[in-house]
Amino acid sequence: MSENLTEKEHTVNENYRQKPRVAVYVCHCGGNISDVIDVKRVAQELSKYPNVAVSREYAFMCSSTGQDYIVDDIRNNGINRVVVAACSPALHELTFRGALSRAGLNPYLYEHVNIREQSSWVHKNDKEGATVKAIALIKAGVEKILRQDPLNSIRVEAVHAAAVIGGGIAGMRAALSCADNGLEAVIIEKSDSLGGNLNRKGKVYPSNRQAFEVAGELSKKVLSNPNIKVYLNSEISFVGGYVGNFQVNGKKSDGKFEKVKAGAIIMATGFDHYKPQKGEYGAGLSDMVITLPQFESVFEDLDGKKFIFGGREISSVAFMHCVGSRQIDGLDKPGKNGKVNDYCSRICCTAAISAANRLKEKFPETAIYDIYTDMRTYGMEHEEYYKSASENDIIFFRRPLEERPQVEIKEGKIHIKTRDILTMNEEMEIETDLLVLSTGLMPRDISDLVEYMKLPKSADGFLQEVHPKLRPVECANNGIFLAGTVQGPMDIRETLQAANTAAVKAAALLSAPDIPLDPFVAVVDEDKCTGCGLCPAECSYEGALVMTEKDVKGKKKKVACVNPALCKGCGACAAVCQPRAINVAGWTLDQFDAMVEAIAKE
Amino acid sequence: MKVNPNFLKEVKKYGAFDISKCFNCGNCTAICPLSAQDASFPRKMIRYAQVGAEKEIESSLEPWLCYYCGECSDTCPRQAYPGEFMMTLRRYLIAKYDLTGISAFFYRFPWVQNLLTIGIFAVSLAFFLSYTGDFQELAAKIELAFPVYVTLAIAAYVFTFYRKTILEKAKKFVLSINFSNIKETLIHGLTQKNFAGCSDTDWTRWIAHLFVMSGYTLTLVISNLHLLEPLKVQYSVSEFRTFLVFYAASAIILGGFIMMFRRAAKKVQSSSFSHSSDWLFVIMLFLIGLSTLSAHISNIILGPEDKIVELLYKLNIAVEVAWIIVIVPFTKWIHIFFRPMAVYLRNLKKEEAEGKALAFSLPFIK
Repeated sequence: MSENLTEKEHTVNENYRQKPRVAVYVCHCGGNISDVIDVKRVAQELSKYPNVAVSREYAFMCSSTGQDYIVDDIRNNGINRVVVAACSPALHELTFRGALSRAGLNPYLYEHVNIREQSSWVHKNDKEGATVKAIALIKAGVEKILRQDPLNSIRVEAVHAAAVIGGGIAGMRAALSCADNGLEAVIIEKSDSLGGNLNRKGKVYPSNRQAFEVAGELSKKVLSNPNIKVYLNSEISFVGGYVGNFQVNGKKSDGKFEKVKAGAIIMATGFDHYKPQKGEYGAGLSDMVITLPQFESVFEDLDGKKFIFGGREISSVAFMHCVGSRQIDGLDKPGKNGKVNDYCSRICCTAAISAANRLKEKFPETAIYDIYTDMRTYGMEHEEYYKSASENDIIFFRRPLEERPQVEIKEGKIHIKTRDILTMNEEMEIETDLLVLSTGLMPRDISDLVEYMKLPKSADGFLQEVHPKLRPVECANNGIFLAGTVQGPMDIRETLQAANTAAVKAAALLSAPDIPLDPFVAVVDEDKCTGCGLCPAECSYEGALVMTEKDVKGKKKKVACVNPALCKGCGACAAVCQPRAINVAGWTLDQFDAMVEAIAKE
Repeated sequence: MKVNPNFLKEVKKYGAFDISKCFNCGNCTAICPLSAQDASFPRKMIRYAQVGAEKEIESSLEPWLCYYCGECSDTCPRQAYPGEFMMTLRRYLIAKYDLTGISAFFYRFPWVQNLLTIGIFAVSLAFFLSYTGDFQELAAKIELAFPVYVTLAIAAYVFTFYRKTILEKAKKFVLSINFSNIKETLIHGLTQKNFAGCSDTDWTRWIAHLFVMSGYTLTLVISNLHLLEPLKVQYSVSEFRTFLVFYAASAIILGGFIMMFRRAAKKVQSSSFSHSSDWLFVIMLFLIGLSTLSAHISNIILGPEDKIVELLYKLNIAVEVAWIIVIVPFTKWIHIFFRPMAVYLRNLKKEEAEGKALAFSLPFIK
């Protein structure tokens, strides 16, 4: 960690020592706030508040004019602390911190008060109450910022390498992109070859190329890249460390690798195909009921004029969608984890239709049925598959989501009964030689890795990104990125895009010699610390808070010690510290006291 | 309902090459001004065809309630031409209701019908020209034979239509003697009022249709009652018969000309996809009108003895012979009866559901 401040940081730190002069800005948010809250009154009220030197209201504080007010007041009116009362801090806190920086003020001497979500939107029908509440919230904000220390981002040194866990197409693509961006990449793969789920026969949409060819082409590039190291047959026994300094340990027994050091980890462990339970849509009742991956592997080897499968000539084939996807509690049997898969697996509609089209091309006389719930051939050009399928006279049946088609085997033929929305909800009887179940995608069991890294999972059991729009592929754990289907069902194109994104994020993170982190972490006042040891017991982040022997003012003393890179700033430690020796920077207990005081005053 | 994947292939032999593109969105039914709760089309019909619900198709009245304004085809997001599919179904149903199977054959091999028409026309004409006896007498006999032959053909069609749409479902004979139903049926039969149900009424089409229909019916009457004897009687411009012939023939010529023109121009959906039998039908009608009119005019000018009158009259009868033998009992012609009948049967179904229809069972029907 580097304690050295940059030159700019040094200069902007000086002005906080002067007598506090707070500026308050009340944003109208184009009516979102000002239609309910009397913003003029709020500004006037705040202008009388102690230490407030400037109080203004404006239509859009986030606009460049609004931001210019802040910059101008800092430069010309001696303002050294700023409060903006506006929307949610998630939206514009960084915007206004930026304005402070531009004006030469420490960006953390800024307080964002949310009077939109917390006042005008929730108290639409009580204008007076909303106004009074806004005033109280802003006063609390002023009190808080008066007690704010100028903070600086924490910097940690970083290893310029990424550990990629999983050597499927996501892992390979991510490793290649890391290498392209100047990072070293290490692929750790459990099996004996690269390629993962694509190491199989069968064509994949939208290129209609053989799966193993696509995987093979990528693995050739990976293996010939000097910046990528590949460990096959390798299992992981432990993952530790923090952003910039991860350490991945291998299971020593296989002797392949012991230790990999990396600044970032890219999770690319992929998915498992759903395995239908016995009796589910006829699975296991006949050899003529197979899954789509099984169909693909058989189909590629077929040639000649007749479709022979299991020693029989096949003249009709039915495809069943949503097997193991969009399941309903109580209707479908739960899997091993005790849950049903209620998500859509996204790829199976297009995959089934693309297979049906290829079948029709190879054996034009085959009658093909397709039983779906909702046709989700989303994505560029995928609708074309659906279109040509209907032009190919593939007969579609749309079943209600909450009904399950009945499959029976009679005299070697498969009989399917299904309600069909397209035929005015009538029950249809379909007789077919072969039934292909278009199975969904399942989260792969990576519970050991999840345990080592404390990775967050979604309700569906896949790993979860922080926010699908604001922070895609980023894991809540700093420095860990999600590539491909480890995060949810995706097709190959999306997987590769996610893998690229993960790699680029890792590269961006590790682009400077050290990594800046938010300064809102626990800080210990060693004078006050009694060494009682209550706080580390509360801490849920391994290595973030430990007790150490230290030299404090000449005396050897046992005190709490924070690793700022691992601390998440949750405040659990501060809550148990009786002498108030430990505080979260930017959110100290003194600040909270003053805020409560300000709100409770009247 | 059992699914039959081969049925659509069968229907496609009668046209509607694009119907596989349909993905059952239902825009066609939504836009159709004639589709109703108890007679929903075209989507329902298309769907039945896709899944091979042969029975449902063969017992449906919907194809005859469609007047092919073409709005569905214009609206279809998949260019599946649902309007033309309804037309195809009408062809398919005629083929199915034709117990001889000849219509099905003609629809699939239209050149046979064309060649036969030309052949029978040529043979009859050759025979007529070489005929040495009293041709007026012979013509009278031929015209007497027409109604017998035609009535038999119509009766077979009408009974099959009734059997498929009503009898096989109700399992008993039901009839509607409701006055308003009979009135509605007659009005529809005579005026094709349903054309006005299409939201942008295609007036030209309706009027052309009315011309042809009324002219043709009148020609039937004139010919069946053997009202004309142009080789024996000299007709004048001012008499009533001349007025009848002039109206009948010119209405057919004018209406037929408009129809041919529209089929050639392909400007609107309803005349964009002509089957060979459609052309044959309208051309032959046109020729009937033309030969009737020219024979009559030449009689007025030249008198009954003239060779030209005789030639034109023989031409006229030869065209009618070909028409009656090859065209009337097979393919398109029977739609003249099916359309008003569908109106009648639709009301009958309603009455039967309400228990108001006249019903009587027969021992041999179960």
